[in-house]
Amino acid sequence: MADSISVEVIYPLPQRQERASLTLPEGSTVQQAIDASGLLAKYPEIDLTKNKLGIFAKLAKPDAVLRDRDRVEIYRPLIADPKEVRKQRAAEGKVMKKGGGEAGEE
Amino acid sequence: MISAILVMALGAIVLGAALGYAAVKFRVEGDPLVEKIDAILPQTQCGQCGFPGCKPYAEAIAKGEAEINQCPPGGEEGIRKLADLLGREVKELSAEHGIEKPKAVAFIDEQICIGCTLCIQACPVDAIIGAAKQMHTIVADQCTGCELCLPPCPVNCISMEPLPESVETWKWKYPVFAIKPATKEVA
Repeated sequence: MADSISVEVIYPLPQRQERASLTLPEGSTVQQAIDASGLLAKYPEIDLTKNKLGIFAKLAKPDAVLRDRDRVEIYRPLIADPKEVRKQRAAEGKVMKKGGGEAGEE
Repeated sequence: MISAILVMALGAIVLGAALGYAAVKFRVEGDPLVEKIDAILPQTQCGQCGFPGCKPYAEAIAKGEAEINQCPPGGEEGIRKLADLLGREVKELSAEHGIEKPKAVAFIDEQICIGCTLCIQACPVDAIIGAAKQMHTIVADQCTGCELCLPPCPVNCISMEPLPESVETWKWKYPVFAIKPATKEVA
């Protein structure tokens, strides 16, 4: 099976995470995987100019070449503004955690 | 005399070759006991037992380096099964490793999430979808409820939601009698 790869395309919504498992020829791109998944037809709100794409939590261009067992992810934009949230937290005098933070730390 | 030695030598060679062949042909990959223990463990990969995942804990149990009561997600039922498998005594869940909770999955409050990816790095099973400055979402059916994503979140937007009991998740309840330490209630 050197000439075909199996990948997953996922469009996560809070209540329902839509997944499609695909078998594609080797050398397929992110864009081809999304076209083949049929998710665009199912979720017309996906706008590939606005929704960013990625593979396993790393942003990827639509023409990025996939590897076997990749997971193509369609992201949604944030609702909260990180800067605004940070300002609020600073105003409330909360501790800013940097990095991972320790378990049990409050 | 010579022929007797020859017969014995020939027998040794034949049997040795047969054993050698069998050792190669029927080689067992890994430790079957570890596999059996690992199958009982809940695969939350939460690390509450003090080992970096369910498999390392299973290996430690098999070697006799760890007790069987260090897995809070497995709970009483898990300890009972491990005790059955290993012929050890059923013990109460060790309090220092945590308490048994109903199975839950993490849920991200989208109004608060700032897309920092810290929870994604903490997730042992890749159940969180998201990238830098993109909305993070938890894939509910891949989430093991290990709670490892809770401490790293800088905005505390992740909460644990207990799974409602459904036809798929319902399990026959064991007729359990809780093991309690003897209390001095003598007047």
